[in-house]
Order: sequence, then structure tokens, then C-alpha cells
Amino acid sequence: MAEQEALIQTMKEKAQGVQTKVAEIKSLHEAFLYAVDVTKEQNGATIAAPGLDEENLASLGKLCEEKGLELLTANLRDHASEMHTGFTIADWGIAETATLVQDSSSEDLRIATMLSETHVAVLPRSRIKLEAMSLEEELSRLMKSAPRYLAFISGASRTADIERVLTIGVHGPQELHVLILKDDKA
Amino acid sequence: MINTPHDDDKYKSRLRNALQNKFLGITLDNFATAYPTSRANAFAGMDIEALVDEIARGKDAVIPCFEELFAAFKTNAEAAGVKVHVARTAREANEIIAAIARKNQVKRIVKGKSMTAEETFLNDHLEREGFIVTETDLGEWIIQLRHEGPSHMVMPAIHLSRHEVAELFTRVTGESQDPDDINGMVKVARRELRQAFLEADMGISGANFAIAESGAIGIVTNEGNGRLVTTMPRVHVALIGFDKLLPDLESALRILRVLPRNATGQAISTYVTWITGANECRPGPDGRKEMHIVFLDNGRLALAKDPVFSQALRCIRCGACANVCPIYRLVGGHNYGHVYIGAIGLILTYFYHGRENARAIVKNCLNCQSCKAVCPTGIDLPHLIKEVHRTVLEVEGEKPLKNRLLSRLLKDRKLFHTLLRRAYLAQRPFLEEKGFIRHLPLFFSHEHSFRSLPAIAATPLRDMWDILNQPIVRNPKYRVALFGGCLVDFVYPEQAKSLIEVLRGHGVQLEYPMEQSCCGLPAKMTGEDETARDLAVRNIEAMDPASYDYILTLCASCGSHFKENYPKLLADKPGLGVKAQQLVDKLIDFSSFMVNVLKVDPELFCGSGKKVAYHAPCHLCRGLGVKKEPRELLKISGVEYVPAKDEEVCCGFAGSFSMEFPMLSAELLKRKLNNMEITGAELLVTDCPGCVLQLRGGMKKRKGKMQVKHIAEVVAEEQKRKK
Repeated sequence: MAEQEALIQTMKEKAQGVQTKVAEIKSLHEAFLYAVDVTKEQNGATIAAPGLDEENLASLGKLCEEKGLELLTANLRDHASEMHTGFTIADWGIAETATLVQDSSSEDLRIATMLSETHVAVLPRSRIKLEAMSLEEELSRLMKSAPRYLAFISGASRTADIERVLTIGVHGPQELHVLILKDDKA
Repeated sequence: MINTPHDDDKYKSRLRNALQNKFLGITLDNFATAYPTSRANAFAGMDIEALVDEIARGKDAVIPCFEELFAAFKTNAEAAGVKVHVARTAREANEIIAAIARKNQVKRIVKGKSMTAEETFLNDHLEREGFIVTETDLGEWIIQLRHEGPSHMVMPAIHLSRHEVAELFTRVTGESQDPDDINGMVKVARRELRQAFLEADMGISGANFAIAESGAIGIVTNEGNGRLVTTMPRVHVALIGFDKLLPDLESALRILRVLPRNATGQAISTYVTWITGANECRPGPDGRKEMHIVFLDNGRLALAKDPVFSQALRCIRCGACANVCPIYRLVGGHNYGHVYIGAIGLILTYFYHGRENARAIVKNCLNCQSCKAVCPTGIDLPHLIKEVHRTVLEVEGEKPLKNRLLSRLLKDRKLFHTLLRRAYLAQRPFLEEKGFIRHLPLFFSHEHSFRSLPAIAATPLRDMWDILNQPIVRNPKYRVALFGGCLVDFVYPEQAKSLIEVLRGHGVQLEYPMEQSCCGLPAKMTGEDETARDLAVRNIEAMDPASYDYILTLCASCGSHFKENYPKLLADKPGLGVKAQQLVDKLIDFSSFMVNVLKVDPELFCGSGKKVAYHAPCHLCRGLGVKKEPRELLKISGVEYVPAKDEEVCCGFAGSFSMEFPMLSAELLKRKLNNMEITGAELLVTDCPGCVLQLRGGMKKRKGKMQVKHIAEVVAEEQKRKK
């Protein structure tokens, strides 16, 4: 358990270096509240949350309704220009580079993480590994069962193409929030 | 349009222009200064050497197997719904891609950054075929709008200022852009390109990895455009060089550990995307992507079989060889490559874009070894650059006069040395006090006057050796051969004199094998391998390594040439290859001999506390890998060593380079001396007579106050008087 705690610390430290905001949460409900708050704070109007099960969808939907936000769940291509927050659940985390690993084979999931302004991702703490190599087996297996679109995401979209000045948010999300979910008995 | 000069005159005039570009000078200098630190931070706590070694070995194992890996890749990718193509030539690749576009009724194309597509000039082809192509990487978009090629493999628009970008964007958007609002300009690109993503019918990407065991491709990006290019349009074409094939994910992850760290000092790039097969895509046929992968050969498969050049295929396109190149830093990528930029660019240009484009640029290498030291796959870049240079000369048949003269001279030691002795007499009318030539002889142009040239010594070292090297040591602890090199022998014999003084009393029997000649580096540097080989044989015959405990040289360049090139030059000469290796094993520089072998004591020195700055010769710090000993020796000898900026950056001498490219040599020297003077030290110390020539000549020309000395001279002066 102490080991997992150390990984979380590493993840948090490394996240700072790539401008990723990290918070620890105890339930998915807390993540929903967080996403709704961030969206409201940033004057966003929509949350795109593909891939949630019915129960969770209902619960997030209710929160959105209360705050006057629109919840988008499918056919996100049609909403490409209107997504404020993309809400997703990550498959793994890589601590040493503060990376999220997401099986993004679903087009909607991909679009939510690419075209939203702010990406809020839930990362179950039991799924955090030290380095990419520790996931080599799992990822290899996934890659071999095609079609597959796997994404490593480490921070917000960035560029330094104009005079090497680091600038955030060129094509993808301008912010990445990682919510580490307590999913074990720690 | 990329327009690389085909002849020296045009090229040199381009270089002169580039040196006038103030923005370029400052921006590349800032970059070169910042890069080593960010790289070191990114690799902190990791064993870089071991990683590099592992990756190099991995790549070398893969290079002979591209065709087998391709077969496996094809089977797996096709099973996943991908159409796999092979393009033997650049043109064929472009035609295959245009045909895919036509067949799918494509009008608009968005592109992710791909050096391979730059290599084939894909955009030009597609535009000629009537397609609308938009580059979506910010830097690539900028240079596309300006109709330029990339000036760096990772940062294609690094040569442009915010003002130039603001002007461009004002023109493109019709709205005035504030050059100081870089964030605002990035948002302009975000807006404009977002539209392009949504409207495009086809996306073209490159790939960093093609993984045979799964048929997956891996794409490393920061901006996120690579993900959009592969997601939004209904058709995806990936153009990939055969050299990107790897057996498995593990090999790819290993490279991923070093690629972003070495390229941009990032632990990882923001996005790494792994795609296997035709993924879900609503507008595509049956809700799937129409996916194609085009493998580009364009000489790669033949290159893979080349005994010398195949290692160029290890390259993972991190761009670091440009980041650390002192020449790149001065003149930028548009003057240091054709499509591919930096050291690897000088090499690949010959293979992918032809001799004409390589002819002039390939000469522009200092052989300072900086690129080799930073290459994450351990490519011997300076060696391959020289090999391309040599090949171009050979193929073109017409050897420059100076090559023929040099070869002729160096091959005949007696003639060469006679001429050097006569040169002393010939220069007498031009002599000035303290060993400098007053005017340069007329055949030098004004451009060569950035430094004063030293006079040839009245008596070469070899002629006074027996008198100097006294008394004879009884029961010596070490038997050491001194390899003088031309500069110590004929220009700076006083450096050897200092050595003799310093070694006195340490039980060292020092010998000067009289049959030794030029080490051969000048021949090697001008592509004259035949002559270089001859000289290597002669020197090994002159001093059989088996007769000595050490072979000491005061010249880092000779030493580094022994180490780098003798074993290669003599590899297929029975018996001599072994001797070459033994020579390398016994080779030692002055500082290492003093610190590691004699282990000299501070007690031997006066402890003057003189402030001393140090210039690290390329061929010592990288060539021979000696970094700490000279600094330690300075400390032991009681002077105060003051660190300077860019200590390990080339002073611009680089032997014949400074004659070939005096404008670059002068600029490097100027910067070097500025960095040294700013330390406030009274003495500038280095440990290579070539660097002494350059630094002392430049210091004299600028009437600087710092004295320039070889470390052996300083150590001799700081010694307490011996009884």
C-alpha cells in the first residue's frame, strides 16, 4: 500500500511539470461534482461524457441539469465545436511521466479527449504504475486485438513552435485535470 | 522551396548572409545554451550511456531484418483492415497517396508532421494533383504558408521571429496580430486549423514506430494534431520509412524513453498514439476508417546492407544533432541540411536527395564530435559525414588542388618536413616579434585575417630533442613515447619543452621516435583516406606500441584521430589493426598522465592562485573523453580555475576547416574569446596546440589581455624550482 502511495506522490510531482492539475477523490460522484464545478467556473455550457454506464450517466445528468449544463454522451462528432469539458475514465496511469493511458478505440471517447477545452479524467489509484514498461504486456495484448486506438496523454496540448515559447492549448484541450480515485481499501 | 546550393561559392555566400541575421544568431544561441540543461534534467538519475548502447544494439539487430519485419507487419495490419503499400521511390509514394485520395473522392487533406513526407515533397505533389493540403503542426503550418522547408526536424519554424509569424498570420487571417501575444497567435492557429480538421476528407500522418508483432503504428506528438489527423477524416494514410519498423512494443517503449528527452528535454511528449487497424470512424465506410500505410524505401533497404552507412538508419529523428552543433547554432537549418537537418541531414541528403545537394554542405563539419556525443542511438555522425564527403569526391573524380597537394606532401615525410623547415626561412621577411607572422601571404583572402598566424619555429622539436631531453633517466618507472604532431614539432616546440621539464624527476624515460609523421587527420578531414591510411601505417611503424608503457601526445586532435580512425583505417591490414588498437590502449593525454599516472602532488607547485579559464578541446573532452583531469590538474598546480560559458564548444579551429570556412571559424572564435574574457581570468589554458593556434591568434588580433597557453606550459611555470 505504501508503494502505491509513493507512486501517487510521483504522479503528483511529475504532473506539476506538465501543468496537469491533480486532485484525490473518494467516489465517482465527487468526480462528477468536480467536472460540473470546473465547467461552471470556466463558463462552459457542456460536458461530454462518453462511455459511462447508465447509472452514472443518470447521476451526472442530474447534476448537469441542476447547474444548467448540457450533457453530451454520443455522436460527439456532431458537437465538435461545442464541447467544453470532456469527462473520461482512464485505464492506467504512468507515474514517472504523469501519463494517462486510455483505450480510445471508441470514436466518441477520442473526440471528447481531443476537442474539449478542458479534459477531466478519473484515474483509479490501483491502476497507477511506475513506468510504461510495466504496462508492456497489457498494452501489447490490446494492440494485438484490433482495431485499437491507445492514447498516452501527459498534460495539456502544447507547442513551442513560435520562438520556443511554451504555449498551452494549441489543438487539444487547454487543461488536463486528473482525479485520482480511491478504489482500493487504502 | 528548398534551394540548397550546389557549389561552394554560393554556399559560402549563403553562410555569410546567415551570419548577418541577428535574430537567428540570438535565438539559436539561446536554444543551444538552454538545451543541454533541459536534456540533463530530463535524463536525471538515468544511465544515458547504457540506454544509448541498448537502443543502438536493438536497432542494429533490426536493420538487417526490415524485410522480414515488414512481412509480419503487413500480415498483422491487413488482418486489422489496413491496406499496406510499398513505395520503392519517393515519387512512387506520392503517386500511391494521390491515387488513394482520388479513389476516395478526397478534396481536402490535413497533415500531421512527418519528415518522411517532407523527404518525398508530398505536399507539392498533392497540390499539383489538385488537392487542398493543410499542415496542422503549428510550425509546419507556418513554413507551409511561407513555402519554406523545415529548419529543424522537431522545431521546423525555429528560424522565424514572432514578428515574422505575426505578419504572416495577419496576412492569412486579414486581422492584425500582435507579435508579442504568442498565446494569441497560437489561438489563431487553433481556430483556423480546427476548421481544417472538421472539413478534411483525408488525414496523412507519419509514424515514429511501426510494430511488426501487432501491425500497430506509434505517433509521438505534443500539439495533439496527430490525434486529430488520425481521427477526424474518413481516410487515414500513414507514410512510414522502412527504418521505423520494430519487432515489438518493448523496443518502441525503449526508444520512447529517450526520444522526447533527447529531442526537447521532455520526459515524454504530451501525446503518444498507438493505432492498430481501421478504427471506428462514423463518416467512413461501414463506420470504419479507410486506412492505408505506405512504407517508403527510397534507398533504405539498400542502405540497410551498406557496411558503413547502415547505422544512419538507427536515427529516430530527435533533432539533437542540430541542437548541439556549433555550426547549426551559427547559420540555422536552412544552411545545414537539405530536407533533413543537422549532422544526420548532411548524411541522409546524399542518399535521399542526391550528390548535388550534399556536395557543398557535407564539407561543413568541424568534426567536433558534439553530435556523436548526444546521439541517442550512438550513430558515429562525424565519421559518416566524412565518409559521404569522401564518396562525393570519389564519385565526382575531380579532386580539389588542395587535396592533391596535401596528399602529395603528407605521403612523403622527408619532403614535408624539408618544406616546413624552408617555410621558416621563407616567412622571415614577414615575421613579427613573439612568433607571429606580420602579414598573411597574399594567397590568403581578407576573410582569413580574423586571427594572427604563428610563425614556424626556427628549430623544430625533432632537431633539438636530444639536447632538450636530458639527463638520461636511470631505471625509469615508465617508458613513454611522445607523439608530437606537426604543430608541436614545427610551430610550438616549447610545449614539448615544458613537458620535458614537468616530467623531470618523475622517473619517466621520454622518447621521440624520429620516424613519426603527421597523424593523418588533415588527410582524413579532406576525404583523403588513402593518405590517412599511409600515415597511420608509418606512425605505427615508427613507434611500436609494444615498446612503450604509454604513448603521450600534447595534441588532442592527433590523439583523438588515433583513437577514432586508426583502428578503422587499418582494420583490414593484417597485423596492423592489432597494433592500432594497442596504440589506442596506450594513448594518453598530458593531464591524464599527470593526474592518473604520476599522481602529482600540490606540494610540487608554488600555489600562485592565478586566475585561469579553460577551453576544453573537442578532441579531448569528447574525442578522448577526458573531462575532469585537466581541471583537476589546474587545481593541483595551484592556479584558480574559473569556469566559463560553453567551455566544451569548439573554438572554430578544426584544422583545415578554418581555411575552408573562415567566416564560421571567425565567428566561433569571437564567441569563444568573449566567453573567456568575461571570466576575468588572466590566463586562457587549453590542451591542444590547434586550439592554442586559434585562440592565441584571435586574442592577438583583438588585442586581448589574456595569455593563451597549453596546459603543459602552465604546469611547468607553476612548478617549484627543481634542484
